[in-house]
Amino acid sequence: MIASFDAIEVLLALCLTGSAFVCLFDRHLIRACCFFVVFAVSMVLAWWQLGAPWLAAAELLLGVMLTSPCFFYALGHLSPGASAPLKRDQFSEPWSRVAMRVVLALVWFVMVGAAIRFVIADMVYSPAEHPLLLAGVLIAATALAAFALHRHLFRRLLAFNLLGSGVFILLSGVAGSSAAAQALISVGLLVAWLGSMLGALLIRQLMHLEGVEALGRDGEPKESTT
Amino acid sequence: MIWRFGLFDSTFAPLATTHWALLVALVFPLLLGVLGALFPPKRAFPVALASLPVLASGVMLLSAFDQSGLLSWQWEIAGLILSLRLNGLSVLLLLTTQCIGVAAALYTPGYLRLSETGPLARWLWPLMGVVLSALSLIWLATDLLTLYIALELMGLAAVGMLMLSGKAPALLAGMRYLLLALVGSLTYLLGIALILGHWGRLDLQGLAKVIEPGPVAWFAAALIGAGLALKAALFPLHAWLTPVHENAWTPVSALHAGLVIKASLFMLLQLWSILLPDTFYAPRVIAWLGLLAIVWGGLLAWRTDSLKTLVASSTVAQLGYLMVAFPLLLGPDIAPLPRALAWEGFWLQLVGHAFAKAAMFMAAGNLILATGEHTLKGLAGTSRRLPLSLLVFGIASITLMGLPPSSGFTAKWMLLQAMIITQQWWAVAALLTGTLLTAAYVFRMFRYSFDETAPRHRYQPLAPGMDLIALTLALIAFALGLLAHFPLELMHGGSP
Repeated sequence: MIASFDAIEVLLALCLTGSAFVCLFDRHLIRACCFFVVFAVSMVLAWWQLGAPWLAAAELLLGVMLTSPCFFYALGHLSPGASAPLKRDQFSEPWSRVAMRVVLALVWFVMVGAAIRFVIADMVYSPAEHPLLLAGVLIAATALAAFALHRHLFRRLLAFNLLGSGVFILLSGVAGSSAAAQALISVGLLVAWLGSMLGALLIRQLMHLEGVEALGRDGEPKESTT
Repeated sequence: MIWRFGLFDSTFAPLATTHWALLVALVFPLLLGVLGALFPPKRAFPVALASLPVLASGVMLLSAFDQSGLLSWQWEIAGLILSLRLNGLSVLLLLTTQCIGVAAALYTPGYLRLSETGPLARWLWPLMGVVLSALSLIWLATDLLTLYIALELMGLAAVGMLMLSGKAPALLAGMRYLLLALVGSLTYLLGIALILGHWGRLDLQGLAKVIEPGPVAWFAAALIGAGLALKAALFPLHAWLTPVHENAWTPVSALHAGLVIKASLFMLLQLWSILLPDTFYAPRVIAWLGLLAIVWGGLLAWRTDSLKTLVASSTVAQLGYLMVAFPLLLGPDIAPLPRALAWEGFWLQLVGHAFAKAAMFMAAGNLILATGEHTLKGLAGTSRRLPLSLLVFGIASITLMGLPPSSGFTAKWMLLQAMIITQQWWAVAALLTGTLLTAAYVFRMFRYSFDETAPRHRYQPLAPGMDLIALTLALIAFALGLLAHFPLELMHGGSP
């Protein structure tokens, strides 16, 4: 009985981690968005599995039904007359920057892992019993790395959403499904939706004003040579 | 430290009128903002009329605190405990918020009429209302859930306000700010998750009793500190601040630089005084960063060519003064006298800077609006044509430089005294360097404005009152130094 439950959790954790990786690093933006939907659906199942039906409902409403369309809107797939929908992003960063960001993400990973280890002391002896928690640490670390690494604004928005989901899994992992934890996560989901909506509106407006290249520059002004 | 934040049991229950005043102070800015979106005011007069009840609620809360000391409220909703408290510090910050908020709201109609603001202008009102309501909630809240909700409301509304001008640079800067603010709040949330997981509660008063130093408290403090420092633009994480202010509307900049970034700093100090009482290294690190912030912000402001960048960089430097005081407030082995002096100096500096910076942004906005130039060189000849705007800028800079008898002087005097008693000579050096650098960039700006050789521009006439509102704010910042006993008494009051 217990073994079967574990299998479901392990499967969910693998599903979450896998879809998060694809979503963060796939160059094809529409596919990345589709995997975000997969990720959000697995989050719904994960909340159900963790015994928090209210959070599952909130995730279904806010994550799957409201936040995901924001991304497709930002890519220009919901408005029929939109010009030049985004397809792919370029990635041409110097190696020094990549190495620096990877080191940063590793430090973050170790720090979060250590903090969780102090809160849940028995995790050291049986890490396999908390597959979702492990997935949460992994997702949070990878998403922060992706956030630091990418300059493309759309990718950063996706990375922020996955970072949020990772943090919510960690929160429910360390604090259980108490009323306070559920309230914090619900507020967090609401904020993530509002932030994504604002971000998607901004990205559309920027593309309208400046063209697709504006998104890749991370808020830096246009070079004077171009 | 804990009792200074009013985290103890109150003696008296609040009266019925106090309940109403609290409700008005928290909800009315929001309602008025929605009303402003439906019927955008064209003149300052209806705004002044509408803001009267808000100011009245602030004064009523002040008198309620005068009569009965610390007041607290607590509600239980579906197993969650939400709690508020009203102590001297929160009254002081609440009154500051209301004054600056009302001044920014009065300034707005004239500004919107004179500058080409586009179709989004009416959304400024509800966003401003949300920011003011959320700020009031942050000064009062004493549980981590309410603080998180208020912080998020404030952050999202602030991002919305800063991007309203709709130009591409503003949108890019705003998008960057949005992403950083959202990641900052997730870091903060992770810190709260650790606290909730380890101690199982969210109310600050209860947490202050059960938290003991250890790895969990350190990790939580680090995460919360990083998240809030990002939102407060503390030194190494300040890069988003200047581009955002460069492109924002004047009343928005005034509110943001005066109040919004201070709210994150307030939360940082409050949570660290619970999580890290009497630690040695963490406040030292903040103070060293503050030293760098004073120098770096001052240099940026000194070397810049743009007036708004000057004012925004000076915010980075002025936040450095507050960071330098952290070891005096949180460090171990500080005698009661220097700690009390540092506490009073810290909040007087914060409040004085809020008023002065709001006035300075309004004066800079007036100069830019009248001359149509964004650079310092474009100010040539303004000393003859726009003396009032320059006067406001000057009075605000007196407070920022800390010349007597402004509030900046009184605050720095107290901080200096505390630093000399505890023999922190490097902090003294930081404060003096900051004063010199502030003088350098302020006088550089005035040198350009007194240049008479420039060709004549056409000057856009300003709406009546735009200079007067800025002047009032600058004079309040100035007078808080002479009448410092009022805020200081508020901060003394309510000790157990």
